[in-house]
Amino acid sequence: MVLENAPSSQTTPAALPPSVFTLPQTAQLEALYTIIRDKDTSRGDFLFYSDRIIRLLVEEGLNHLPVVPKTVETPTGATYEGVGFEGKICGVSILRAGEAMEAGLREVCRSVRIGKILIQRDEETAQPKLFYAKLPQDIASRYVLLLDPMLATGGSAAKAVEVIKEHGVPEERIIFINLVRATPCEQGPRAGPPVCRELGRDLGLRSCAPARITTHHQIQGAA
Amino acid sequence: MSSGPVSALTVQEPSHTPRPALSRSVTGTLNGSSSSLTLQAKKNTVLKSHGRPPWYGEDGKPICDAFVIGIAGGSASGKTHVARRIVQSLGSIPTVIILSQDSFYKRHTPEEIELAHASRFDFDHPDAIDMPLFASCLADLKSCKQTNIPIYSFTEHQRLDETKYLYGAAIIIAEGIMALHDPTLRALYDLKIFVQCDSDLMLARRIRRDVKERGRNVDGVLEQYLRYVKPSYDNFVLPTSKYANIIVPGSDNNVAIELISTHIRRQLNERATRLRQHLVGPRDLISQSAIPLEAHSNLALLPQTPQLKGILTKLRDRTTKRGDFIFFTDRLSTFLAEKATEFLPYKPRSVVTQVDATYNGKEIAAKCVCGVSILRSGGPLEQGLRRVISDIRMGSLLIQSEASTGEPLLLHLLLPTCIRDRKTAQDTWVFLLDAQIGTAAAAFMAIRVLLDHGVLPEHIIFVTFLVARSGGIHVLQRAFPGVRIVCAAIDDELREMWLPGVDEGDGKAVTEGRKAWVVEPGMGHIGDRYYL
Repeated sequence: MVLENAPSSQTTPAALPPSVFTLPQTAQLEALYTIIRDKDTSRGDFLFYSDRIIRLLVEEGLNHLPVVPKTVETPTGATYEGVGFEGKICGVSILRAGEAMEAGLREVCRSVRIGKILIQRDEETAQPKLFYAKLPQDIASRYVLLLDPMLATGGSAAKAVEVIKEHGVPEERIIFINLVRATPCEQGPRAGPPVCRELGRDLGLRSCAPARITTHHQIQGAA
Repeated sequence: MSSGPVSALTVQEPSHTPRPALSRSVTGTLNGSSSSLTLQAKKNTVLKSHGRPPWYGEDGKPICDAFVIGIAGGSASGKTHVARRIVQSLGSIPTVIILSQDSFYKRHTPEEIELAHASRFDFDHPDAIDMPLFASCLADLKSCKQTNIPIYSFTEHQRLDETKYLYGAAIIIAEGIMALHDPTLRALYDLKIFVQCDSDLMLARRIRRDVKERGRNVDGVLEQYLRYVKPSYDNFVLPTSKYANIIVPGSDNNVAIELISTHIRRQLNERATRLRQHLVGPRDLISQSAIPLEAHSNLALLPQTPQLKGILTKLRDRTTKRGDFIFFTDRLSTFLAEKATEFLPYKPRSVVTQVDATYNGKEIAAKCVCGVSILRSGGPLEQGLRRVISDIRMGSLLIQSEASTGEPLLLHLLLPTCIRDRKTAQDTWVFLLDAQIGTAAAAFMAIRVLLDHGVLPEHIIFVTFLVARSGGIHVLQRAFPGVRIVCAAIDDELREMWLPGVDEGDGKAVTEGRKAWVVEPGMGHIGDRYYL
């Protein structure tokens, strides 16, 4: 039996599609973001504190995986009605910024397989174009944690989801994890439609950020 | 350094050079045979024979002060000898400090230092000693608080900038020629002793010691004796004998010491009885509170998400392999540490981002944040805390329960510097780490140690995997309502059982079996599973 609609510790703001989950906006999380936004933050601190946020995001992302009831015996002989993890997972990072999230993922999911996708903007068509994709052989049977720190126009994310779907992964098995996401109303003129609307049932996980500072340049330069 | 009665002085003298004879002497006796050397008590150090039993009641407040003994007497009268013999004859007293008056010489002006080097400074006058500081350090120790005593260098004739941290003695012996001189000091003593010794004998001991051990000539010793030591003894030291409860002879004093230690033992026994009446045994702890634990505002339970339940299932499963156990423990402890940092204070902070925009964010408003783990089981939580605050200062407390009574014993403590100093301790936030709260005896003691040091209860965040619903948590919350507890799960049962020893299957025991209170369903013995 698979438990459906796994409860989550997170909330979904009304203005966002129900598939988007935001971490609880605690003072502590805000302090973490303050450090990684500060341009004077050292590289070491940037990596350390972004890893902390990524771990929290991945932990939350994993809550969307199914579990099955499982009874175990404890070392003192008591029984515990717990749950067992169900379903295999893999990570897919969108190069290059997505790679920065791999360490955080590995800290939570030991020896997880990680696929890579390189998407760049085609200078002729101005559309995102797939340059490279190396994914686990059996990706179709896995849940996919898609990693990209920034979600602005959502162009490359949408392309990545498309690629993963082409490899046989159903949309509802893709969990998209990102650190900051531009709010749709503040997107620039070239912005496409918000990715979560386009992706339908895809579960987008995000943490809010003012749009004007969430350009691709920023994270790619910093990560 | 360990040969000879002077070894005790190394505590406060960084240099090995014998100090000038002008300085006040504190060495022991002339008859110090080599067999007694091993028993000699170091001064200004907390001496321990076994752990320190609880010194507080169910309400979390200390029940009694430490027992303070003041020993005065002339130079070379045998004060240190008496102090050491008392310690020796008390035998199994858990923690003793012998506090030497020499540490409290005042900070000198350059002129005074010059005089001192020329052997023209009167160190035997009461004014040479910083009595208010002596009294305040002694008062701190008496009321079970930590103190930082000054360190005096006899080679430089100056108080050093460093201080020595002392905490947690059940008995304090303050000794020095002026130990009974100051009324504030006298008010602190539970027992006042004056070591009475014949002047001729004191002079004879002094000459022999200074000539033999310090390479002085007889003329110099005598000149100094006549100029400072003798007048000081007659004017300031001897008159204080009237304040003493007991006057002990400076030699052949076995009977006197036997009487004194019998008296001290009786006093301590009375206190211990009072303590036991106040203390709660684990069996009394099953007092269910009307409010469910989950509703308690100071207890933060991690959101019970499927992942968390999955991790807990792995950890509780007896068949989980060691590697997996360690991995999931670290993962859970990281999660707990993240949750715990939510309870730190935050204040607004604006930063400029890479694209030159201003972002109004927040930062931690605590002056100092540190971790203290209760060994061994608190250890598995350290990894998580370090993943969250990489450069966090970590301290530790070793608390074990005594096999026969189940009473917790404080065996060792190593606290971060920010807690050692009372002033900074008030601004310090502490993550206190232990794997579970069962009887809460260790948690109780650890919190008391932090409060003794001046940490505010609201600044203590206790991070733990499991809390037993029917255990000592209620007593803990009643005694320390300000302390916050962050846990991953609340388990229903707490029972006493025999924990069988673990062996690797080849007959070699990894752990010995022992009786312990276990939380159920629980995770077994977390320390054993993580470390052994």
